[in-house]
Amino acid sequence: MNWRVVVGDREIPIDLAKLPDMREVEPGVYSVLQDGRSFLFRVAPVNGAVLVSVAGRDYKVVASDPRAGGRHGRHTLGEGRQNIGAPMPGKVIRVLVAEGDAVQHGQGLAVVEAMKMQNEVRAPRDGRVVAVKAKAGDAVTAGAVLLTIE
Amino acid sequence: MSMFRKVLVANRGEIAVRIVRGLHELRIPALAVYSDADRDALHVRMAEEAAYIGAAPSTESYLRIDRIIEAAHRHGADAVHPGYGFLSENAEFAAACEEEGLVFIGPSAQSIKRLGSKTAARQLAKAAGVPVVPGTEDATREAEEARRIAAELGYPVLLKAAAGGGGKGMRRVDSEDELESAIRDASSEAERAFGSGEVYIEKLIVDPRHIEIQLIGDRHGNLVHLGERECSIQRRHQKVIEECPSPLSATRPELRSAMGEAAVAVAREAGYFNAGTAEFIVDRDGKFYFLEMNTRLQVEHGVTELVTGVDLLHLQVLVAAGGTLPLRQTEIQWRGAAIECRVCAEDPEAGFLPTGGRVAQLSEPGGPGVRVDSGLYAGFEVPFEYDPMLSKMMVWAGDRATAIARCRRALEEYAITGVKTNLGFLRHIMDDPEFIAGRLHTGFIPGFLERRPREAPCPELEDMAALIAAAHVRARNTNGNGAGAQRQGSVSRWLANGRAGVLR
Repeated sequence: MNWRVVVGDREIPIDLAKLPDMREVEPGVYSVLQDGRSFLFRVAPVNGAVLVSVAGRDYKVVASDPRAGGRHGRHTLGEGRQNIGAPMPGKVIRVLVAEGDAVQHGQGLAVVEAMKMQNEVRAPRDGRVVAVKAKAGDAVTAGAVLLTIE
Repeated sequence: MSMFRKVLVANRGEIAVRIVRGLHELRIPALAVYSDADRDALHVRMAEEAAYIGAAPSTESYLRIDRIIEAAHRHGADAVHPGYGFLSENAEFAAACEEEGLVFIGPSAQSIKRLGSKTAARQLAKAAGVPVVPGTEDATREAEEARRIAAELGYPVLLKAAAGGGGKGMRRVDSEDELESAIRDASSEAERAFGSGEVYIEKLIVDPRHIEIQLIGDRHGNLVHLGERECSIQRRHQKVIEECPSPLSATRPELRSAMGEAAVAVAREAGYFNAGTAEFIVDRDGKFYFLEMNTRLQVEHGVTELVTGVDLLHLQVLVAAGGTLPLRQTEIQWRGAAIECRVCAEDPEAGFLPTGGRVAQLSEPGGPGVRVDSGLYAGFEVPFEYDPMLSKMMVWAGDRATAIARCRRALEEYAITGVKTNLGFLRHIMDDPEFIAGRLHTGFIPGFLERRPREAPCPELEDMAALIAAAHVRARNTNGNGAGAQRQGSVSRWLANGRAGVLR
């Protein structure tokens, strides 16, 4: 019966039977009156979650229906093989390393350009390049794998 | 006097909107141009006519001289306003317009050429007796030569694209071992942005202020300055917050006229007319050095308009049509204080990476002293092909302290969801003691990022956010796959009836 609601990395128990005085005054915009105070919440979708903005703060919230049984997992990257993704959608300008190269933490691996700004993608740790999946000129989406190090 | 029949606006985003507005005030119809990415853009809707000019990448649309001129002819436009960026400082474009019988609303192609290269502009400034930062006047591509020059000037040095602007192709170099890769990066960035990879080297003035002077002149030799703008708050050489007047004017009121006269002298030397901006850096002792001339209407022209009451766009059109500048230097007055914030699609918590996305909700600030120049509307999809700047929020008040308070208030009102923006970051700057004290320099932002207070967590808001998110998601699910759930009011009635518990 209770919803699984995760704000940031904190799970908050929610009882939807107890709602404050809230009105959706515009699509996704909620006026909330609580204890005589007035709040304005804005809710907008962000990949698989919603972003709730209030009083200049943003909260990423994953709210899943207990009946739907959906689960949003997050995998973290540890040791071993590690895919290096594009930090944002854009275009690969240059790949600075080749397969087999040893790389050091902080070393530039590739240059991706978006909105006319070039950003260098750097190695998150020491390692060796085991695969290069992008080449100069490729259009990439955010998170697209550029290369793999181990 | 008769001005123009129809003006083609060779730009996009907020500046295209601003130009269309100015033209409408002058009762001149506007012709918008757009790429595949901008069919739904605001400037296309606001203009009387619109012409398609190609694919999303700017090299296939907004930088295509042939297509823009063809569109002007097809629609019977007789003048072109280039805005900023894209072709605005392209001498070839200005010349092509004139050859094709279109008036280029800007300086002559010859002036653009003379001032467009920073090295040539430096030489002009020297000829006009205006101080410049020590450095080379010849573009450098050879690493060996660069090493020698940099060693002579002493580190740190600054690499700059000869044809550049807006920080593209610019790199700070602190030591010799960084030099080679910095030249490579700066040169390739410049090549891509301006079609020329030429880079030159100058001495870096540590922690300078960036102050610029607005100029406007007509074709009859009249030339005035409209005072300074403080643009020291920059990130990666991109301006973030601009003000008029500079807080420095409070303690050094003589700087405005000294820099103003210097700027006018450089412009005269170049035979300049229309709007332009002379950029200077000012060191800790208040000494100023000419940097470059921007031969276009600047992004931040609005703060000058707010303080002087002069509409620069109107004047640009007037002088382009051959009119005489309607104001003399002695008639220009500065009143109050204006601040501009550049609102960008970027994530300050993730290294200011460009974000993009679809604007879900938009609520612009209003009330006393607020001006928003924007290309946004709710539902707008921010294309990632172009600059991440979404809008400019400007405020005016009788003095700087009130302007800061007003700016903070307006930033609080400003809401953009669906696209991550720097609005919160801008608001925090308004609370910064260094900013409030007017102690500004181009290294302000790195220092600010270090000292800004971390926002204390607020569990009460977090709990409420969780509750509202869950109610929102459930309402959208209940109303059928979210699509029909966009209807306004559907949730409010449902919630107001207190049926939340029943549906469980």
